[in-house]
Amino acid sequence: MMLQMTLRRIWVGVATMFVVSVIVFIMTSILPGDVAQIVLGQSATPETLAALRAELGLDMPAYLRYLEWLGDMLTGDLGTSKAGGAAISDLIGGRFGNTMVLAGLVAGISIPISILLGLWAAMHPGSWLDRTVTFGTLATISVPEFFVATLMVLILAVNLQWLPSTALLRDEMTFFELLGGLAMPIITLVIVVSAQMIRMTRAGILNVMNSPYIEMAILKGIPRGRIILRHALFNAIGPIVNVIALNLAYLVSGVVIVETIFSYPGLAKLMIDGVQTRDLPLVQACAMIFCGAYVILILIADIGSIVSNPRLRHPK
Amino acid sequence: MKDKVSPECKSDELNFFDLSPSDKCLVEKTIQGGFSRRDVLKLMMVTGVSLVTAQNLLFTGQQALAAMPKKGGSVRMAANLHGPDDQLDPPRFTSTIDYVRGRAVYNSLVQHNNDLTTRGELAETIEPNADASEWTLKLRKGVVFHDGTPFTADDVIYSMNRHMGDDSTSVVKSVLASIQEWKKVNSHEVKCVLNTSNSDLPTLLGLYQTKIVKNGTTGDGIGTGPFVLDSFEPGVKSVHSRNENYWREGANLDLIEITAITDPVARVNALIAGDVQLINQVAPSAFRQIEEADNVTLLSTPAAVQLGICVLKNAEPGMNDDFVKGLQYIQDRERVVKRILKGKGTVANDTPISIAHGPDFCSELPQREFDPDKAKFHFEKSGYSSAELYVAPVASGIEEVCLLAQANCAKIGFDLQLKKVPTDGYWGAVWMREPINVVTWNMRPTAQSQMAIQFGPGAEWNDTYWNNERMGVLLQAVLSEIDPAKRHEMMCEMQTLIHNGSGMVIPAFTNINDGIAANIMGMPTVPLGALGALEWPEFIWLS
Amino acid sequence: MNEPEKQNVEAGQEVLDKLDKFDELPDAPPKRKLKLSWTGKIATMIVVFWMVIAIIGPFIAPFHEMDMDGDDSFLNAHSNEYGTFYLGTDYLGRDTFSRVIWGARMTIGISLAATFLAYVIGITLGIAAAVKGGWVDMAVSRVNDAILALPSIMLGLIAIAAFGSSIPILVIIAGIIYASSVFRIARALGLDIMVQDFVEAAKVRGEGLWWIIKSEVLPNAAMPLATDFGLRLVFVVLFISSLSFLGLGVQPPQADWGSMVRENLAGLTYNSWAAVWPAFAIASFTIAINLIVDDISAKSGGSLAKKMV
Repeated sequence: MMLQMTLRRIWVGVATMFVVSVIVFIMTSILPGDVAQIVLGQSATPETLAALRAELGLDMPAYLRYLEWLGDMLTGDLGTSKAGGAAISDLIGGRFGNTMVLAGLVAGISIPISILLGLWAAMHPGSWLDRTVTFGTLATISVPEFFVATLMVLILAVNLQWLPSTALLRDEMTFFELLGGLAMPIITLVIVVSAQMIRMTRAGILNVMNSPYIEMAILKGIPRGRIILRHALFNAIGPIVNVIALNLAYLVSGVVIVETIFSYPGLAKLMIDGVQTRDLPLVQACAMIFCGAYVILILIADIGSIVSNPRLRHPK
Repeated sequence: MKDKVSPECKSDELNFFDLSPSDKCLVEKTIQGGFSRRDVLKLMMVTGVSLVTAQNLLFTGQQALAAMPKKGGSVRMAANLHGPDDQLDPPRFTSTIDYVRGRAVYNSLVQHNNDLTTRGELAETIEPNADASEWTLKLRKGVVFHDGTPFTADDVIYSMNRHMGDDSTSVVKSVLASIQEWKKVNSHEVKCVLNTSNSDLPTLLGLYQTKIVKNGTTGDGIGTGPFVLDSFEPGVKSVHSRNENYWREGANLDLIEITAITDPVARVNALIAGDVQLINQVAPSAFRQIEEADNVTLLSTPAAVQLGICVLKNAEPGMNDDFVKGLQYIQDRERVVKRILKGKGTVANDTPISIAHGPDFCSELPQREFDPDKAKFHFEKSGYSSAELYVAPVASGIEEVCLLAQANCAKIGFDLQLKKVPTDGYWGAVWMREPINVVTWNMRPTAQSQMAIQFGPGAEWNDTYWNNERMGVLLQAVLSEIDPAKRHEMMCEMQTLIHNGSGMVIPAFTNINDGIAANIMGMPTVPLGALGALEWPEFIWLS
Repeated sequence: MNEPEKQNVEAGQEVLDKLDKFDELPDAPPKRKLKLSWTGKIATMIVVFWMVIAIIGPFIAPFHEMDMDGDDSFLNAHSNEYGTFYLGTDYLGRDTFSRVIWGARMTIGISLAATFLAYVIGITLGIAAAVKGGWVDMAVSRVNDAILALPSIMLGLIAIAAFGSSIPILVIIAGIIYASSVFRIARALGLDIMVQDFVEAAKVRGEGLWWIIKSEVLPNAAMPLATDFGLRLVFVVLFISSLSFLGLGVQPPQADWGSMVRENLAGLTYNSWAAVWPAFAIASFTIAINLIVDDISAKSGGSLAKKMV
């Protein structure tokens, strides 16, 4: 049953990736200028533009270029960057690892913290503790990332000189060196993503606490802690897993500001660079990775919500 | 450096500075190596120098050591931009990060000095014929590429031909359009045939893009330059180590790493935190931060980098001379320099030539002052009461210049609307297309080339579409004029023409503002681009 | 029965039905007077304050948002012949106080408009997908997934590069991007509710689709969606400010709080508060909105939770 659903989901995922590639194609083709114009910039002349367009195959109609890309993609060839000429698999290779390392470290720290704080707050709704958590998460969530990041660089790197201001990586680094080198982006991102997860955990559990069966449990005199851990948490897992999945997807694809400020070579910045240079194969490759990650995460989230709501297992 | 030598040192005696690099090195090593003075003197006399000379050598050697480049160490430079389009192929270089990599890995035929004169680099000598229409270049012998291949005339011809021809995608193709042909004379001599006389040819051979690559290659990072490419990841970083077989004395640093931090605030913070040692494009709002920190220096090089507003003369409203005049008079130039550029700039007179161009600058031309009344008069006469100005942050300070103009326009009842657009796509979609837009130009080495590129009738990048016949005549004539007085007169006439007739509004020139760690010594200051036109990799050392 | 009478009867029946529903369903929002806690009251005051500023701001601000009349950039409070700069000046020597006031209109206006747009689009499509199912669900969900899978800042970048960055465009872009998350929530809630007993009972009773949406799905989805509203609003504010990080966003010289933070970041080192005040404004407004939302949702169902404490 679960397997059947998973298979169906994978098919849906492939469909989503196709839709993404079409959307990306359409969007990048409405952008002003093409890769030749961007690469030559202020120095472009009609002759050099024409020569470069011919060299890059930009004189082909757009839909043909898309089909060519699609064909290559299906055979596992990501192509070469139009802007720089490097193989896209080379451009992406190291950055994919970087992105996964950062996302993994941030997730490993923020998810346990968030669920614990969320649970804690939900166990004592309306208390001072709850209010502090609520207020604290709202405060951190509502300040722009670049403000948090810059403030931390000024304090921790420039004034106190405790941590490096940028995440400049070297090839051979031990795990702890890596952790030290990445401390700033990790702290920034943990602050940014935890707030929402804490709030959703708290809200999700409080929401379940209002259901009749919990009321029944309370009336039966089951201890509060046990109600939350055994009944409420299990039933609230759907929305919690959902928000975790969305935040993980954000950590993979959306951390462009953190990557920029800390000069961390990850995928999010690469895609923005790709858009800014109109480098379609590069943008498409990033889009496929992001979409793939999203599809997998959402699949996990959906399995979570199905597990927590038995009715969804037998849709009518 | 000779000034520092003590008077005891007679000029006819051999002293430290007259030694060959390898001997200098020997003396230095001897001094540093902890030998006693007597040991050293003995050693020297055994090798056949007189006692006086030996003493002299030792003395001047010690004196000079403090100012002598020190070998070793590494630096990291963070440029303002990088991305997947980073290049090692010189004809496609477009950004600071490409230029510096090119400077580290390759050599040019000609190199620029701090005062904008030139000296031979891979070309030992460059000799023009009588009318400067044919130039003979004698190439340096004994130079080898990083892979051991000797450097010859074929490499020069191949590299330079890549800027010519129909299928050339070189970004300097039109700049080098006056070159008709490269001819090989022998293995170490080439001729450059021009289709017109040009006494400024050497400056063209020292562009960022005219680097010499190995015959048949397209930028695989194998050059003759002071650093060997160890690794290169576009949009991430490149690492270079010293070329031990370099044909000159060679670089002082062991290792350089070139990367970028695109966020301006983060870039300055990284410099002050000591994570990087050189940065370019320091925004005016960060000057004080750098000046107040004691481990870094603000390197502000006066240059003719214009903050320009182009008003197209072939479209509304630029066709109307009064509109252009209005926009020129509303520029509060003093304030731009003082408040926006924080003093790191010079007032401009709506021409692209500045005092940095030396004697070719026309100081006689009366300065156009900020005059809201005149601006109001001209705007009213033009019949326009509003206009739309396209702005992209193409240079630091340009957006602020437009904001100031907007505020001042509002005070005289003129509605100057700003349309901010992204930098990507700006040059293709906005510049030279929208009726009013902003522009910046790197400083060109000569006043003639600066004006020709932007104001030559029919020039490729005549970005206000102001085509003036007289201008064309003068641009050509000035190239063969050798009488300084007449030359200046012609230069002045051209600047006056631009000042009065073109659609260009240039309120100010900004300095080139970079930040470097305070222990960096020997920093070149060529004003043609960021960080001494990126000449630093070969020459700097750490104290 | 003539036509008007029939309508009257029907209308009456509808009201009765509604009342019935409210009484018989434990999950339906209880009828009660909104009573806020003290945090809720303070939050309401803050929101009302900012709303008032947003409306009358330009008339009470001492300077125009474009005026560069300060003595220098990043100064603290001072006075000169043009007036008094209560909160000091920004990186261009403009009055921070006036720009925060002007920025209220821009920030609150754009974020509220975009969030409402997102809710209208998201709820409509989400509920439709949940109720209709089949290929409608499939098609809308895939496009929605595609928008969610792509980073929002990239979508914003492309849209602005293609269409320019006027205020309507910003509202539409942010509205569409955030509609995708609302859609997911609305659809999930819709699906959840569609399998609840009372909806199944309604189906068995033979109630129409629209009736089910109107009477069962929407009221039950309202509270979770409202809880999300506050966060969504924060995200829109942050989205606009992250566009300003890429040099996009609102057109200069217009002030919005996010871009004010961005453009004055360099002042932090000079102990200038030019970046802090707008950050404070964003925080006060968004926290206040969320506290109100929290209060309402806690009131609507928090009674039990309270019992437990």
